Amino acid sequence: MPFKELEHTADVLMRVWAPTQDGLFSESASALFSVIFCNAEDRGVEIPFSVEADDPDSLLHDFLSELIYFADVEGAAFSHAGVTIHGRSLDAVVHGEPFSQERHAGGTEVKGISYSGMHIIHNDDHFAVDILFDV
Amino acid sequence: MEWEVPRGFIPDMRVPARFFLSDKLSGTLEEGALSQLANITTMPGIVKYALAMPDIHLGYGFPIGGVAAFDRNEGVISPGGVGFDINCGVRLITTPLRESDLSLKKRELIERLFATIPTGVGTHSSLKLSPGDLDEMMVSGASWAVEHGFGMERDLQCCEDHGCMKEASTEHVSQKAKTRGMPQCGTLGSGNHFLEVQVVREITDPEAASAFGVEEGQVCFMIHCGSRGLGHQVCTDHLKVLEKAVKKYNIALPDRQLACAPLTSPEGEAYFSAMAAAANYAWANRQMITHHTREVISSLFGISYDEMPLVYDVTHNVAKFEEHTVDGVRREVCVHRKGATRAFGPGSSCLDSAFASTGQPVIIPGSMGTSSYLLKGTKVAMEKTFGSTCHGAGRVLSRTKAKKMMGGREIQDRLRKQGIIVKATSSAAIAEEAPEAYKPSSEVVRVVHRAGISEEVARLEPLGVIKG
Repeated sequence: MPFKELEHTADVLMRVWAPTQDGLFSESASALFSVIFCNAEDRGVEIPFSVEADDPDSLLHDFLSELIYFADVEGAAFSHAGVTIHGRSLDAVVHGEPFSQERHAGGTEVKGISYSGMHIIHNDDHFAVDILFDV
Repeated sequence: MEWEVPRGFIPDMRVPARFFLSDKLSGTLEEGALSQLANITTMPGIVKYALAMPDIHLGYGFPIGGVAAFDRNEGVISPGGVGFDINCGVRLITTPLRESDLSLKKRELIERLFATIPTGVGTHSSLKLSPGDLDEMMVSGASWAVEHGFGMERDLQCCEDHGCMKEASTEHVSQKAKTRGMPQCGTLGSGNHFLEVQVVREITDPEAASAFGVEEGQVCFMIHCGSRGLGHQVCTDHLKVLEKAVKKYNIALPDRQLACAPLTSPEGEAYFSAMAAAANYAWANRQMITHHTREVISSLFGISYDEMPLVYDVTHNVAKFEEHTVDGVRREVCVHRKGATRAFGPGSSCLDSAFASTGQPVIIPGSMGTSSYLLKGTKVAMEKTFGSTCHGAGRVLSRTKAKKMMGGREIQDRLRKQGIIVKATSSAAIAEEAPEAYKPSSEVVRVVHRAGISEEVARLEPLGVIKG
């Protein structure tokens, strides 16, 4: 799994990595959904959206904040998101299924994405970031 | 007990920092939390010192348990000093029931509460709010709920600020925040939020307990939740605006999450008014949950609704304008409390007359399965901590470690043997909140009592809990 939960006393700290920046954003979305929803699968719910920001860290922050909003208002349990970054903006499609108490309850709401310590780093092969979800 | 972190601990500290911790709790202090406390002291207009309560732990921006006051004219306001869950808070309600009255009906009570109060991810309120209702609720707070039949007039006198921050305005609350808030008023949420049925096991200050309407052996219920998605969205929206304000006003910060703006700037004023609106929503939310809980207890035990008065409602994530004496001079300051509780002492002018001689009630929830406490505010708190004290036990174990240590079922069984019924949306939710994941609430309370920044009045033990 290209994300891993690290030790953090108060909240959920995730380390995410991927070969591309698009992949890093996509895996960050999966990490977020793994906290909020249980057993979510791609069963036809699709929401396309775009985000713009001044720098890559802010773009990731705003992208994930948008997903938290969708998780709250769309009545869906999301499993993953496909992302294409174009400089300071991105186009994304988030996938999932209608939320059902029986299948998807039992996760933890994420209140927000912290800017603290969130810096995307990379080498020749990988992009990586630590993200703190306030729960 | 009371420690000072002098200027120079990190660069650019404007004032020292102070924290309260006993020898027994010293092992729980994380280095990162201390740095976060020191970071606050670099912010413009900070008055006297940055403070941390004994339940201090690593957060983002401010540490959890952080308190700081900023000058009305020279200071700043920061969502990082309030948190995403604006006006997350706790309230305590008494009933005329004794523990023995519950006996065989205890499980049924917990099941009924779980079925009635929407709990966990993806749940919605039964209340259908119109956009106009939501706007009124954000302006009026708990009184909106009482006026619409969800409580008693007397409830309002027993809330901090009477359950309403008058500076609230919906002008800077986004449509997104409103869309999230509309279906969620009257829902508990998840994480460490809960509704607990408790019994008053011990009275340590009979005079104050009597003034607060609390007696030994009484069954009570405690509600812990906040402003739900609406408050979270207000924080997210304004963090973005204040990030830009940091550049505009040339403010140097050691942590991006401390993004802030001068209190007198349009950006600072916009956040403050929206934060106050979210705080009011949170009071209405706790009021709705109180109403439904009273109805369940009333129908199950045949007692009347008005036999269940509210002892008090405290907020522990908020920024507020207050007057404090600093070095002998009365000053208006904006006090940020993030994971800290107001603990105003006797004689404070903004307290309801019922609490004028005792100081305000302070409610400290324990972790699941451990004691909660009722305390009172003190004059020492007014002198030392801008009238503040701790807010809870404070975590010591991450959620991952807690889950590895013990399964949810195991914890549920163990607590059942102690007479505590736990009902949650999943066993993982129970495991994450295991009693071992928190500092002992008794020790945290002992520290604030010994430091004099609040004083013990009563100890309550859990009988049953519902959580998301």
